[in-house]
Amino acid sequence: MAAVFRAVFGYCFLVLMVRTAGRRPGKQITPFEFVFIFFIGGLTLTPMVGNDRSLSNALIIIITIAVTHFVIAWLRQCSAAFGRLVDGTPLVLLKKGEWQIETMRRMRIQDDDVMAMARDNGLERLDQIDYAILERNGEISIIEASKES
Amino acid sequence: MASYPKTKPVEDTVPKVNDEVAVGSDLEFQRKWWRFTRVLWMVFAAIVVADLLGCFGRGFLANAHARTNDGVMDVKYERIERFSTPSILRIEFGPTAIRDGKIQLWISDSFIKSLGNQRVVPQPEASVVGQDGILYTFSATTVPAAVEFELEPTAPGIFDLQMQVPGSEKLKLHLFVMP
Repeated sequence: MAAVFRAVFGYCFLVLMVRTAGRRPGKQITPFEFVFIFFIGGLTLTPMVGNDRSLSNALIIIITIAVTHFVIAWLRQCSAAFGRLVDGTPLVLLKKGEWQIETMRRMRIQDDDVMAMARDNGLERLDQIDYAILERNGEISIIEASKES
Repeated sequence: MASYPKTKPVEDTVPKVNDEVAVGSDLEFQRKWWRFTRVLWMVFAAIVVADLLGCFGRGFLANAHARTNDGVMDVKYERIERFSTPSILRIEFGPTAIRDGKIQLWISDSFIKSLGNQRVVPQPEASVVGQDGILYTFSATTVPAAVEFELEPTAPGIFDLQMQVPGSEKLKLHLFVMP
């Protein structure tokens, strides 16, 4: 029974930690962020498993995490507010030639992070960007400025 | 059985930025979240400091020391233990604890049941179960005479531990086991 509680707690705690520590996974992830993600994942595993190395314990923990994940995904679908809590919302980083300083500072994102994504989209300069948006999954979407403007 | 429509027309449901790009951003919510995380970081910092001080075991505040008024026993232990994590409880005996080349020590049941005594150094000559505890008998000649117990708590919670050299004062300890 304790394994179920440990698994639910471990999963929810990890979600909170990753949400709190910032939104830069995926393409924007840097080596030191890799260390953070893998380190906390590994450290959570140890107390969840404890000294019970049985197959039953492993299966119970995996199933519990799957159920917890399903419940959170379902709640996210049912409630927009819960979805915002778990995933956050997209955030505008650059709008029509103006950096959104507050968002960038709070999300610990710099102009070269945006430029890296712009290069990935085949752009060469920041003035070719109309909007840069930090998506919920941590990716930065670039909307190119229209050529006429 | 209720049937749900398989399709629905696309509506302009995602809020726009500058009335042109559908982003769905909610800066007000995000500001609340930032305020929450600021508090959370303070809590995290407090947890780190508390741990460095030993509030969660294994540190300055966790180490404890108790002795009987008659000087028979002097106990060094950790008042804050951690679940399933080994620690040492050391008992030093005064000269009056040694009788006929032996030291007898009674320890309450919680020592085995909850605090999970794993090992005793040196090995007792005898250990007798009874009177809600265990009575150990050790060979001893002169002071300093000390016994060490390796504990590995089996459950989190607050536990009372009592110990006594028969015929002398009883020592009561309270230990908190962190989950």
